[in-house]
Amino acid sequence: MGSYLVKRLAASLLTAILSSIAVFLIVRAVPGDVVAQMLGQSGGSGSQAEEALRRFFGLNEPLYVQYLDWLGGVLRGDLGQSWVRGQPVMEIVFKAFTVTLQLGLMTLAFATIIGVPLGLVSGLFEGRRIDTAIQAFNILGLSAPVFWLGLILLIAVSSLFAWSPPLIYRTPFQNLSDNLSTLLLPMLSLGLLQAAAYSQFTRQCVVGAFSEDYVRTALAKGLPMRVVFAKHILRNIMISLVTFMGLILIQILGGVVVIESLFALPGLGRLLITAIETRDYPVVQGALLMVVFSALLVNLLVDMLYHVIDPRVRVDA
Amino acid sequence: MYNNRLLSTMRKLGGAAAVAVTALAMTPAAFAQEEKPYGPDPEQEIRGGVLTVGSLVEPPALDPFHQGADARIRVTTLIYQGLFYEGLSGPVPLLAKSYEVSDDGLSYTFSLREGVKFHTGQDMTAADVKYSYDYLRNPDNGSPGAGDLNTVASIDVVDDHTVVFNLEQPNASLPVTLGNKYGAVVPVGTFDDEGARAALNRKSVGTGPFKIATYETNSFLELTAFEDYWQEGLPYLDGITFLYMPNSAALLVALKNKRIDFARLGRPQDSEQLAGIDHLNVQRWASLGQKPLDLDSNYGPLKDVRVRQAIALAVDKEEILQAALGGYGKVIHTVPAGMEESWGVPVEELEFQTRDIERAKALMAEAGYADGVEMDLTTITGYDWMDPAAVTLREQLSEIGITLNIKRVDLGVWIDNFRNKNMGLTFNDWPTLPDPNMLFFRHFHKRPEGADFRNWNNDEASALLDAGRKTSDPAERKKIYAEFQKVLDRTVPTIMLFSADIVTVANERVRNLYQHPTGWYFGLAKTQLAQ
Repeated sequence: MGSYLVKRLAASLLTAILSSIAVFLIVRAVPGDVVAQMLGQSGGSGSQAEEALRRFFGLNEPLYVQYLDWLGGVLRGDLGQSWVRGQPVMEIVFKAFTVTLQLGLMTLAFATIIGVPLGLVSGLFEGRRIDTAIQAFNILGLSAPVFWLGLILLIAVSSLFAWSPPLIYRTPFQNLSDNLSTLLLPMLSLGLLQAAAYSQFTRQCVVGAFSEDYVRTALAKGLPMRVVFAKHILRNIMISLVTFMGLILIQILGGVVVIESLFALPGLGRLLITAIETRDYPVVQGALLMVVFSALLVNLLVDMLYHVIDPRVRVDA
Repeated sequence: MYNNRLLSTMRKLGGAAAVAVTALAMTPAAFAQEEKPYGPDPEQEIRGGVLTVGSLVEPPALDPFHQGADARIRVTTLIYQGLFYEGLSGPVPLLAKSYEVSDDGLSYTFSLREGVKFHTGQDMTAADVKYSYDYLRNPDNGSPGAGDLNTVASIDVVDDHTVVFNLEQPNASLPVTLGNKYGAVVPVGTFDDEGARAALNRKSVGTGPFKIATYETNSFLELTAFEDYWQEGLPYLDGITFLYMPNSAALLVALKNKRIDFARLGRPQDSEQLAGIDHLNVQRWASLGQKPLDLDSNYGPLKDVRVRQAIALAVDKEEILQAALGGYGKVIHTVPAGMEESWGVPVEELEFQTRDIERAKALMAEAGYADGVEMDLTTITGYDWMDPAAVTLREQLSEIGITLNIKRVDLGVWIDNFRNKNMGLTFNDWPTLPDPNMLFFRHFHKRPEGADFRNWNNDEASALLDAGRKTSDPAERKKIYAEFQKVLDRTVPTIMLFSADIVTVANERVRNLYQHPTGWYFGLAKTQLAQ
């Protein structure tokens, strides 16, 4: 397991460096830089103020020097300073990440609690009415765009209960009830989609398992359905279900831009948007690096979980 | 249906402008005395409470010296102060008490208000004023406001409360430049420290009625009343919390559910969704902003003035206003709505402001485009009004044989085009200060003195702009700028379409609300909250 970890980490590091180069180049390929944004419509090209600002941010250096400077900082654990806010990027990104992570975990829990049982039931009763009903829910959940669902939820809740979520995000440690009321609607908007996807996926797994020889054998032996289900089906599809869990989490950590903007959550997605708009390169790079790292980490965790679920899976294979 | 009080104030001030601001040789300049900084005084005294403001845009940072974004200016006007307040008919003294101009117009002596304290607790003196404006005007410090002060040669401290600005050439709009848009009076040595710019996001060092309490990126900004503020009795509120919420539907929901007390709507027509809600007051205010069609004189067929004139004659501004903003605005001609009273020219005296398709067609034929011509029209992503406006304009111009290809670009791309003087034919969205020199000079004076983004390169206009800048007599000034507007009308580097109304929505608890036509939150200094 030790050597496996080392290999996985090395591969992850390579992925991280390659993506950091991609990120570095892509943000700079977008026309207009932080200086143009700061001066807005006030300065013509080549003005003294513009040159002064370019020097201030080190934008006058060649690209590879800028990149190596940044990479050196990253390796020392220093993501640099935000060009626009002046705060350390690490601090800004980490704070935003905790918000998104909480939302991600809550959504994951919701999707699992709703989606997996629905999928199991629907798979067990394939072709029956209950299966049709659950599949209808799945299709609805999968086809409703997240921003539309969020908006509908917000407006519906507002007109039914004359209530809308608090607008200042508080951490669970500052004020738990405010924290949960802020995250409730965003969690539902993301969670319905993920629950539907999870339910559909679980159904597929169950239906697939029923056609496997070992299940047919077990049933032919006259084992009761509940035993076959618990001992044979559930155990065998567990690995796929955990993989899917990891995918959901990664998807949320990397793509909650719209929901965070709609519900005014200070998370990673919204941070990315504002940083891109102001061309705050260090923050964009830091935030994307965070997304990449968390994706790698989640994958690693999922791999570890395989081993826990099924000791036959040798992680060093 | 403009706010009546505002309109009548504007009218009064327009009339008063002729007698006010007579900055004659070595006589104390008179000010528009009726106009007070931060809007009208309240009728009754209500104190306390924290006002919650919802905002669609968030300031990138709170440093008034280095951040040019309008979202920054909106809020820092409550935290920092310059020597003057942006009055509608001319600058109103703020940290300056009064000023005198020398005979040659080259030296401005400002006497400063006494008893003004910074948020840091220090007293404000002339040395701080010199430091702040020397820092602002030095291009090496990278301020977007540096260019506005390029006529200043030096600043001298006479005594603790007197400071002299020496100019290289006369500049009648110097006082407006010393307002609240860029820079402010801050304590000597504010920027000595390496991390000073960033520190301004956490701790304010201004003299304004509010100071920064907490600023959370992508979330909220909390201001608290400055207890040692120099204007007796101000501010009325204990504090203001700005909540940054980028989605306008969520903003409306928050207003309905009383999560926020006050907001400026991004799209004026959104106010229709709030009709009939008892606890909300919707108000429309005239604006200094203007939305034009800009014409680059270096771009294809636009090189020919007759084509530009033809476009001016073919445009139906009212129809575009209806399509773009559902009519929430005012059609304009050569100045924004907020300046019409004081500086505008009657439309009868302008040749190319009234629609005339036949004449436009004739001009096109004369220019050799009788068989029609194709052009690109640039619009900017995120500026909602531009999309319906573009489609409407395409229809209108097709009547004179012009085929428009609409090109949508990202703001960053557009800023690049514009800074490289490569505007083409484009919609625009310009804010301004209530002063014709500030409105016109940088945009329309030929290079190098002005930026001349539209490659207009017009000698006659530039000479008029020079004269206007040098002249401080208001009547004379008005004549010069009227002449300039006629040149603008005749040679069409821009077609000003309309000014959008500023639409504010406030909870009924909010009292004495005033919205300045710049769109900045000046008025909140005098806003009250009933319990």
